[in-house]
Amino acid sequence: MEKKLYKITRKDLYDLFTRLSSEYRILVPYAKGEALHFGEFDPEKENSIELGGIRQSQPVKSFINPAREKILNSSRRDKRPLILAGVKGCDLSSFILQDFVFLKGDTEDPFYAENRKNTIIIGNDCTCAKETCFCLAMEGTPYPQKYFDINLSPINDYFLAEIASDKGEALITDFKMFFKNYTAMDLNAKQANREKVTREVRYFIDKRGTQSTAQIKGAVKRNYNLAALWQDFAATCVECGACNLVCPTCHCFLLFDEKAKDANKRYRIWDACLYNTFARVAGGANPRKHLYERLRNRFEKKFDFFPEILGYFACTGCGRCIEACPGDIDLREVLKGLVSGEKWNKPPND
Amino acid sequence: MTNPYAYTEAEVLSIVEETQNIKTFALRPKSAIAFRAGQFMDVTLPGIGEAPFTPSSNHNVRDRLDFTIMRAGRVTGLLHEAKVGDVVGVRGPYGLGYPLADFKSKEVFIVGGGVGLAPLRALLYALFNEVNDYKKIVLKYGARTSKDIVYKQEIGSWKGKAPHIDVEISVDIGDGSWKGNVGLVTTILRAGAVDINNAVAIVCGPPIMMKFVTFKLLDLGFKDSAIYLSMEKNMSCGIGKCGHCRIGPYYACKDGPVFTYDKIKNLQNIWD
Repeated sequence: MEKKLYKITRKDLYDLFTRLSSEYRILVPYAKGEALHFGEFDPEKENSIELGGIRQSQPVKSFINPAREKILNSSRRDKRPLILAGVKGCDLSSFILQDFVFLKGDTEDPFYAENRKNTIIIGNDCTCAKETCFCLAMEGTPYPQKYFDINLSPINDYFLAEIASDKGEALITDFKMFFKNYTAMDLNAKQANREKVTREVRYFIDKRGTQSTAQIKGAVKRNYNLAALWQDFAATCVECGACNLVCPTCHCFLLFDEKAKDANKRYRIWDACLYNTFARVAGGANPRKHLYERLRNRFEKKFDFFPEILGYFACTGCGRCIEACPGDIDLREVLKGLVSGEKWNKPPND
Repeated sequence: MTNPYAYTEAEVLSIVEETQNIKTFALRPKSAIAFRAGQFMDVTLPGIGEAPFTPSSNHNVRDRLDFTIMRAGRVTGLLHEAKVGDVVGVRGPYGLGYPLADFKSKEVFIVGGGVGLAPLRALLYALFNEVNDYKKIVLKYGARTSKDIVYKQEIGSWKGKAPHIDVEISVDIGDGSWKGNVGLVTTILRAGAVDINNAVAIVCGPPIMMKFVTFKLLDLGFKDSAIYLSMEKNMSCGIGKCGHCRIGPYYACKDGPVFTYDKIKNLQNIWD
């Protein structure tokens, strides 16, 4: 469909959400300390809603492919469709991968498909960048380009709202009074903000020398057997799996069965390839016995496997894993090490 | 909505104690299940968990599936406590199975180790269904001791099914009662058993056995693309989504679990 652009004030947007909240479950970002967290829309907490800033602490997968989903004898508690408002560009690009895994192939995951269908996504331009942001290095942008129904570009106390899908159009159809005409100045302001944040992200990338996809291509394969490199980076890993769990592209799960009086339960639960049980088979054989092999697996999957099978580097540059790691393992430093490889290629006595 | 994670209930019809830690369970699923030899299924203990196994029975029989299961972990330990009449679950089949059409008019050289004979039994039954379509069928089977041989009741009868079938068994550790070959299964893989240029080799067993059997087969002159290996990985969802059974660019559950050696030989850590 043709993309439509309107202007909507912050107040009118919250009024719209209030009107929609009987029919929809609405999640919006709230400022909490320095971070943003998704929470249920509550008109009384309007002042702490932040539609702008950077990405939230929860990856968007949390709401489509939840950490724990009942997949046998399940009955959905909240039957209302979901409006997820404020999703940033880095999270939206993870849908390339999540949709590929759960919707494509011979078999569709019906639970993911249902959640995806029942969710309206309102994207949101970033208005600042953080030191850990590197979306541009991963072919992303600090503003949504795809996978949203409506996008909100913040300007002062209003937004430029881009309606990008039939789902988005249907949502606002009864509320056109909130949506006003925009001016050329609004377009300029939107563009100026996008350029400002792009410069900020670029600054952080350049400052650290973060590698981009073109440089990373082939680097995992090239250094696969350079055990010293992987061992160095795994030295402070405590196998907590936090990097996996906060990652918007990590999709692996385990199936867990639970006995119940009436009908037994089965859950699909996020798993983490850093856990030593991840690839282990009955009898104890484990293709990745050592921690460094499991750390390497994470990078192989993201920067070798998915580029090969999907043409997609499975990292959005959101930087969550960098913040989450208690061992201070910085994905950007691992990528730099992989691209240069120098330090570890020296003979041991050199 | 088709739920790929849901199982079909199946009743335990009979249990054969193959060895001290291996049992064959015959299951009758509530509705018939079509599978091809070499495909695997997940067997569920309701409310406990599930594990992947390749049916060991004839794929022409759809209402009674055999699973030959070694006690190796939590689920298999509890499965071994199942009694006739108990109800378990099955879902699948998954994976590609053996490409039987490619084996037609060839000499089929089958090498099994331990409980790895289970999927090969399904393969042998499939070959026996159209026994004259294959030029020769040879089974070389290795077990730790004579007590660890599975399908003792029937393995002796396989040779008599047709004149062009040959079966030889070796045990790693001999004893007074064992009259056959003593040594690893590689010691009974000899040149001249089959016409290498018109043969395929199918291997299933523990990883270390598969590794040395593959090297021996290459020594004998088998081409990489003529060696079919069952890659045991931690297959869970069965539909290429959960991520556990990745092997290089493949998922064992949907691209395998049987791979020809040429597809995997350049991948890392395939024998671990």
